[in-house]
Amino acid sequence: MDSSKGINVDMRVRIGALELRNPVMTASGTFASGKEYADFVDLSRLGAVVTKGVSMKPWAGNASPRIAETASGMLNSIGLQNPGVEAFCAKDLPWLATQDVPVIVNVSGHSLAEYVAVAERLDSESAVDALEVNISCPNVDEGGMAFGTDCTSAADVTRAVRAVTSKTLIVKLSPNVTDVTEIARAVEAEGADAVSLINTLLGMAIDTDTWKPKLARSVGGLSGPAIKPVAVRMVWQVASAVSIPVVGMGGIMNAEDAVEFMLAGATAVAVGTANFVDPGATMRVVDGLEQYCRLRGLDRVSAMTGAVSR
Amino acid sequence: MTLPAETERKLLERVTVLANDRVTEGVGLLVLESPRVARVVRPGQFVHLRISTGTDFVLRRPFSIHRVEEDRLHILYQVLGTGTRALAEKRRGEEMDLIGPLGHGWHIPDGVAHALLVAGGLGAAPMGMLAEELSAAGVAVTVAQGAPCADRLVGRGVFDATARRVETATDDGSEGQRGFVTALVESLLVSDRPDIVYVCGPEPMARIVTAQAAAASVPCQVSLERLMACGIGACLSCVVTTRDGQRRACVDGPVFDAESVVWDTSEIPPKH
Ligand SMILES: Cc1cc2nc3c(=O)[nH]c(=O)nc-3n(C[C@H](O)[C@H](O)[C@H](O)COP(=O)(O)OP(=O)(O)OC[C@H]3O[C@@H](n4cnc5c(N)ncnc54)[C@H](O)[C@@H]3O)c2cc1C
Ligand SMILES: Cc1cc2nc3c(=O)[nH]c(=O)nc-3n(C[C@H](O)[C@H](O)[C@H](O)COP(=O)(O)O)c2cc1C
Ligand code: FES
Repeated sequence: MDSSKGINVDMRVRIGALELRNPVMTASGTFASGKEYADFVDLSRLGAVVTKGVSMKPWAGNASPRIAETASGMLNSIGLQNPGVEAFCAKDLPWLATQDVPVIVNVSGHSLAEYVAVAERLDSESAVDALEVNISCPNVDEGGMAFGTDCTSAADVTRAVRAVTSKTLIVKLSPNVTDVTEIARAVEAEGADAVSLINTLLGMAIDTDTWKPKLARSVGGLSGPAIKPVAVRMVWQVASAVSIPVVGMGGIMNAEDAVEFMLAGATAVAVGTANFVDPGATMRVVDGLEQYCRLRGLDRVSAMTGAVSR
Repeated sequence: MTLPAETERKLLERVTVLANDRVTEGVGLLVLESPRVARVVRPGQFVHLRISTGTDFVLRRPFSIHRVEEDRLHILYQVLGTGTRALAEKRRGEEMDLIGPLGHGWHIPDGVAHALLVAGGLGAAPMGMLAEELSAAGVAVTVAQGAPCADRLVGRGVFDATARRVETATDDGSEGQRGFVTALVESLLVSDRPDIVYVCGPEPMARIVTAQAAAASVPCQVSLERLMACGIGACLSCVVTTRDGQRRACVDGPVFDAESVVWDTSEIPPKH
């Protein structure tokens, strides 16, 4: 490190058994498996790549239109379109394995059995470093968010997946609940190594010309800067309720937003919708975080985690 | 149909507005200095333009390249909503950034001697460069263009300069034949005997033209619009149902072989 740039900042953070070179990950579903961003992002400078959601069988996703822009954000109802875990392992994983970056696979399911089957299949893949179990997708009729809005089923999924994988297990929480800390505690008790939040907020937009919903599925998940205050609040609540690490996300557009999440209690952060706005957004967050630490005289980025004063 | 090499490099380029003038009511022509993209863009490809750097609205907007002139990209755009209204406010000298060139554009098969270009409304936007390239390659070009009224027949400059024949149809009869462009296509398929049809316009019209071409056994390519978030193949907001399954309009399209498209009436195309 160039000493003229000031102190050397230790950017490493730890999530379960996983050591990340910095706290900046991609948010599932916004980065595909990374290949699409290779012209804009040096993947080896990311903390981790979190892949799009993978299910056991291929899923076609929802009808179009699947997105609608709203003030300072967007609604999506993609519906977890993916080619299935076998196609993922055959096509995406070999490429990811050649990239010098930890790989976190986002796991989706219509049923408890499907979550377990995907996790079991991925457990044998050495290129997979961790699983992020998505019990919070608002865009599917069965499974998805239904598992993440109830303590018992959130615990059931976590326990069942924990039993079939030795990999670092992250459970992704839904903001569409009355008390997110209850769910966080329930998944912690069943062996989750970390929780990530927030997934999108259930929302709706209506076209005033046609009187039809803007999304074919009527409702969808809200993401982007509009949801950041909600996300920061939930990360803050969860970080004080559990002792496992929290991965914070929701509207992070730049390094300052990431700092806010870390101060609220996040150990790591994920960048989602911002990738659509600026395909190199993750790189700017990585550089900006390091610069921020240097300016504040912090020798390690993890010093910020939970440091918000009361 | 050859699919785009995933390895084709996409560029993020800082561009300068050289001109932004009203062409007709609700339509503008944006000229951008964009040397890196201008050098490599192909007919039918598009750029993803960042109009706002604030947080009022955040997503980029996709626009086809109408023409390239040296270092300059020409974009014909219709003012529709928040983004295009803000675009119309951009003045000479302002900077923006864009990602491009994106997508899989028009394909000119070997041996094509006579092409029919069918443009409905702003469907003329992605066809300027195509007409130029075809005529430079010695292909005879016929253009069938439709619009609500005469001054909405945009892109006339390039068509008049390159096409052997330009036929027009307007809803109000203010220029050319009164009625839909599809009526022109019906007769041109017979009289001009094109060996390829290229079509872009509102989806119901494009769909009829693809059926007309199929009935005449003429190969046809269609450029489709979908709402796009990322523009680079990652978010799956832009899917088109094809015989080969779901494809992404932003990387596998926007131009598709018409016969591969599975038209689904339940899919509501973006409003125009
Ligand atoms: C590949 C491609 C090429 C295009 N080329 C041109 C062109 O050359 N000239 C031109 O005038 N228009 C073109 N369009 C359509 C253009 O992108 C939209 O009209 C524009 O994004 C509308 O933005 P807005 O904010 O004014 O409208 P709003 O309705 O306020 O936009 C809200 C959201 O919807 C999207 N959107 C709205 N209408 C459309 C549409 N018809 N197609 C796609 N997205 C839409 C916007 O991008 C935005 O995310 C193209 C679209 C695609 C997909
Ligand atoms: C288009 C799109 C697709 C998404 N797909 C998934 C997914 O497959 N699995 C998942 O756990 N979250 C998914 N998400 C949620 C994001 O990972 C993230 O939690 C959310 O968008 C909030 O972060 P952001 O505001 O930075 O985008 C998706 C979000 C978007 C916008
Ligand atoms: S716009 Fe994101 S995949 Fe096409």
